[in-house]
Amino acid sequence: MWKFILPFAAFIALAVLFAFGLNPHRDIHALPSPLIGKPAPLFKLTDVEDPARIVSNADLKGQVYVLNVWGTWCVACRQEHEALLAISQQRVVPIIGLDYMDERPKAKQWLDQLGNPYMAVAFDTDGRTAIDWGVYGAPETFLVDGSGRVLFKFISPMTPEVWEHEFLPRIAAARRGGA
Amino acid sequence: MSGASARRSLQRRYTAAAIAAGLMSAAFALNGALLHAAPATTLDDYGQLEDPALQARYEHITQDLRCLVCQNESIADSNVELASDLRRQVREMLVAGKSDDAIFAFMTDRYGEFVRFRPPLEPKTLLIWGAPFIMLLLGGAIIYRVVRQRSRLPLDDEPS
Repeated sequence: MWKFILPFAAFIALAVLFAFGLNPHRDIHALPSPLIGKPAPLFKLTDVEDPARIVSNADLKGQVYVLNVWGTWCVACRQEHEALLAISQQRVVPIIGLDYMDERPKAKQWLDQLGNPYMAVAFDTDGRTAIDWGVYGAPETFLVDGSGRVLFKFISPMTPEVWEHEFLPRIAAARRGGA
Repeated sequence: MSGASARRSLQRRYTAAAIAAGLMSAAFALNGALLHAAPATTLDDYGQLEDPALQARYEHITQDLRCLVCQNESIADSNVELASDLRRQVREMLVAGKSDDAIFAFMTDRYGEFVRFRPPLEPKTLLIWGAPFIMLLLGGAIIYRVVRQRSRLPLDDEPS
C-alpha cells in the first residue's frame, strides 16, 4: 500500500512546488517590501529642476499619493513613461518622482523631451532616501495612503493594466477607509 | 650514439627540466606574493577605518549583507552603486558607535530579512536552519531501511 501512496504523495508535492516555483509570471528578483503597512519614510530633498525648491512628502500628509523611483540611466523607466503620463492625465492621485542615481541636466532633458507626469520630482543626490525606502533598482512605484502609511510597492515598469488592477482598487479602498 | 653522449644528452634534458621547474615555481611564488600583496581592499576610496576593531566589524557586516542588485554577492564584493551606498551607510553607523545588531536592524527594516546571508535563528527561519538536519535524518532512515532489507536477503554470491 505505502509503495503506491508514498511516490504519489511525493509527485503531488513536487508538482505543487513546481507550479509555484516555475510560474513564469512570478518575478524571482522582486522582493517583498518590509515597508508595507509602515509609515512612509519622510524625505526633504531639492527639486530636480530647481535646486532652490524643496520637495518633501511631509507636505502630502492627508492625501493618497504615488512615489515613482526612476533615473535616466534606467531603460525600463523610459518604457513605463508613457503609462505614467497617461496616469497623470487621469488626475486620480499626485505622482511624486524620486530621481535616483542621476544627474540634474540629464533628468531635466528627459522631462523636457518625454513630458512630465510628476507633481514634483525630488532629486536623491546620494541615494540615502532610496535606502530609507528600501529601493534596490528602478523603476519602483510606491502607494502611500492619507495617514502616511505605505500601502503597496510595485517593482517593474508601470503599465495601464497594473495601474487599473493593482493601484486603483487600493486607492479606492484607502479613500473609503477615511484615509 | 655512444654511451657518454647519451648520458650527456640525458643530463642536459634534466637540467632543462630543472630550470623550467625552477622558473615555474618562481612564477608561482611571485604570483602568490603579488596576490597577497594586493590589499584586501574595499572598492571605495575611503580607505580602511582607522580603528582595526571597527574595520574588522565593517568587513564582517558587509560580508553578511546581500547586494540586492546582484543578489548572490555580498555588498563587500559588489561594485554596483547600491552596494557602495550601503557600505557607506554601514561605515557611518559604525563610526557613529552603532552596534552590529542596530546596523543589521537598519538594513532588514528597509530591505527585509533577505538582505542577510545568515538570517538569525527565529521561529520563522527554523525551516531554513533545520532543513539540512531533516534531510540528513531522512537520508539516514532510507539508508537504514535499504541496508536492513538487503541484509535479510540470502547470500547468493558465495562460492558453493
